[in-house]
Amino acid sequence: MDIQTEMIRSELAEVVGDAHVSTAEMDRLVYATDWFWLPQMWLDRGEAPRKPDYIVRPGSAEEISAVLKIANAYRIPVIPWGGGSGSQGGALSVFGGIIVDTKRLNRIIEIDERSLTVTAQAGINGAQLEWALNERGLMLPHYPASANCATLGGYLAPRGTGTISTKYGKAEDLVLGMQVVLPDGHILRTPIVPQHAAGPDFFRLFLGAEGTFGIITEATMQVDHLPKARLLRAILFDDLKDGIEAGRQIMTRRLDPFVIRLYDPRSTASRVKKILGYELEGAYMVLGFDGDPDLAALQEQKAMDIINSFGAKDLGREPGEGWWEHRYDFYYPPQSLKLPWMYGTTETVTTYDKIEALYYAEKKAVEEGFRDWDIDFIGHFSHWFHWGVMVYTRFIIKNPPEDAREAVRLHNRVWNTAMTAVLENGGMVNEHHGVGLKLSRFMRRQYGDAWPLLEKIKHALDPNGIMNPGKVGFGF
Amino acid sequence: MADEAVTPHGIALIVASQRRGLIDWNAEAIRILYAEPDGGNCRAHCVTDQPLPAAIAAVRADIVARGLAPPEVAEVHEKLQQAASPYGASLPQRSTLKSDAALFVSDEAHYLWPSAAESALRLLEAVGMKSAPVGQGRSSGFLACSLGLAETARAQAAELFEELRATGTRKMFVLSAGDLFTFRQMFDERLGVSWPTDIELVDLASFLAASLDDGRLTVTPSLTYRPYAYVDPTHAVRAPERFAAVRALVGAVLPDPCIELFWRRERAHPVGSTALQFTRPDIAERLTRARLEDARSRGAEVLLCEDPGTLYQLQRFAGEMGLQVCGLYETLAEHLTS
Repeated sequence: MDIQTEMIRSELAEVVGDAHVSTAEMDRLVYATDWFWLPQMWLDRGEAPRKPDYIVRPGSAEEISAVLKIANAYRIPVIPWGGGSGSQGGALSVFGGIIVDTKRLNRIIEIDERSLTVTAQAGINGAQLEWALNERGLMLPHYPASANCATLGGYLAPRGTGTISTKYGKAEDLVLGMQVVLPDGHILRTPIVPQHAAGPDFFRLFLGAEGTFGIITEATMQVDHLPKARLLRAILFDDLKDGIEAGRQIMTRRLDPFVIRLYDPRSTASRVKKILGYELEGAYMVLGFDGDPDLAALQEQKAMDIINSFGAKDLGREPGEGWWEHRYDFYYPPQSLKLPWMYGTTETVTTYDKIEALYYAEKKAVEEGFRDWDIDFIGHFSHWFHWGVMVYTRFIIKNPPEDAREAVRLHNRVWNTAMTAVLENGGMVNEHHGVGLKLSRFMRRQYGDAWPLLEKIKHALDPNGIMNPGKVGFGF
Repeated sequence: MADEAVTPHGIALIVASQRRGLIDWNAEAIRILYAEPDGGNCRAHCVTDQPLPAAIAAVRADIVARGLAPPEVAEVHEKLQQAASPYGASLPQRSTLKSDAALFVSDEAHYLWPSAAESALRLLEAVGMKSAPVGQGRSSGFLACSLGLAETARAQAAELFEELRATGTRKMFVLSAGDLFTFRQMFDERLGVSWPTDIELVDLASFLAASLDDGRLTVTPSLTYRPYAYVDPTHAVRAPERFAAVRALVGAVLPDPCIELFWRRERAHPVGSTALQFTRPDIAERLTRARLEDARSRGAEVLLCEDPGTLYQLQRFAGEMGLQVCGLYETLAEHLTS
């Protein structure tokens, strides 16, 4: 180790303790990649990844504050790390620097069963937090596929969405207050009453900032009682258009489903068939209502009245419950998309008046643009709002270039094509995976005239640009 | 784990990176690979049941074959060859008693917590299933396999099979979830060794619970109560069907329900009773202390468990935390209705 590295390492060790700072080669390798396809492919092709210089594992917000002060003094990039399960490259150390692994901040501070809130440190594992709540008959109604490895901070930093968000909201809707360490080391705590009229809602700045405005160290989250009943069933639509419209009517009638998942015909024929074993033609929808059994049954009946008006086929409970049982299998081996394939999730969200046109425009652009690569384009509509819906579109190329650099170029071209179609049709570059490194280059186009305001805020909070540089559009 | 390198993601990445030629097996990588407890948790917590522990054992075997294993592995290997156990001084005698039923008394049961097997034999006799001890003082093969010493593990399996044949055993009881996993699953999955089809493998706790249920086993509940907690032992996640059985046994002798710990069911984490106690005693101790802290924070004063290895590890630190550790089989045997 060179003297400069050792000097800074020793300063970091003064703060977090020698056991909690590492410059070991294996640690640097492990923290060099998250679940973003590009670095995974890079490693898979035997190419060396860009590694961070230091890994620190602080045990308190105060220690993080001291680490950030050191980083500012030396102008060293700082990259927050939770469970490493992000798919956008948000935790990649683009310019080396210090990884701040938050997993030692893993305590539940308080469960308030009267106000239905939990306050926990940001590094707590999602599954462990859920188990602790379940012990009291409660749940954090945020069920992302990554919950077994992601952290609470990782839920919030990219404004994540879970499987049951249609009823309970995105992670950002569940947070009442936070403790955040600002880039200069100042520790800030927001009130835990989010709905008020005491000035602007500034704490939401840190949601979706992915560590570029500071590091979330603690959060108070709204929790719910575990539902007494979960009623699930599956429906088959001949036409995707009818499925979207039925979903819209269910949402705008405020029938409150906890899940509506509508697979496009291609996804129904491939992923649903492969993972759930149902051989169906059309658009497969899973519909679920939960809570009080009587109320859930009534809501389901009202929703089925809407669905029946489209002449859709009710497949019954078993295929809905089967989906619930296997809902995460889609994202894990052996069923997940895997290397050496090239793949990406170009999920987006827009209003109901635009969603269908957006989906078909993106599908056409990607399929026609990369026909030579025999690209597969699949999608499902899964996070529904009163005003619009998210479409989770994915592309798959089973025989991408073997050369890693060529693969990067092709990957970027597909993303450029998909995002251009999304932006031209009123979509957002992302709904819940975050921006990370992957989508940074689209942020100016996304926000247009509004972008300079975000840059001014960034410069005001982080004048040295140390916080997660290259992410969320900052540094471009 | 606060360190990403020892999470399933980190370990899988290290394994893959070596295969891709990005790293060599150096001391740092090997130290991480021997930091995984092999208690089944990373598989139990994986939403799709990936056999990562078996993959790690296979990689460790590769490391052993290259002569790169940590010195602790060689030390344990030597003891396994000399005494069939890291805890013994010489090779134990094989049983030659003829018996239809046998109880596998592992090295942990023999050397570390002998009262469990003694009580288990009494309980079996009480239900008319007089059994002979087998495998006394011998490692089950799990330790060797977990460390990457697959050939030694196979030899231990062969040794046990010979002993069972010599005793004419048709039914072998096991004391713990770890032994059940070893013989029921690990032999086949990791070693390619089939359990003899003519010998029934029986989990003792489940058998006793069924015996309580059908009245063959009767116990007199204790009249005094202290705050008891049952500790799901190391490997409990590998035998989830035992969850209810052990609780039925506990419930039969306690006047009130026992305290349930946070780390139970699929989240029952190991104490230091796997190979970890030899390769990374620091982590083994942390895991054990975390288990004890869980019990203490929930108001428990007495911890019950049936697994000799888990009992031994808990006992090492329980006193300083104001906790008492009791064997479940012993507690049951004490309350047998005469």
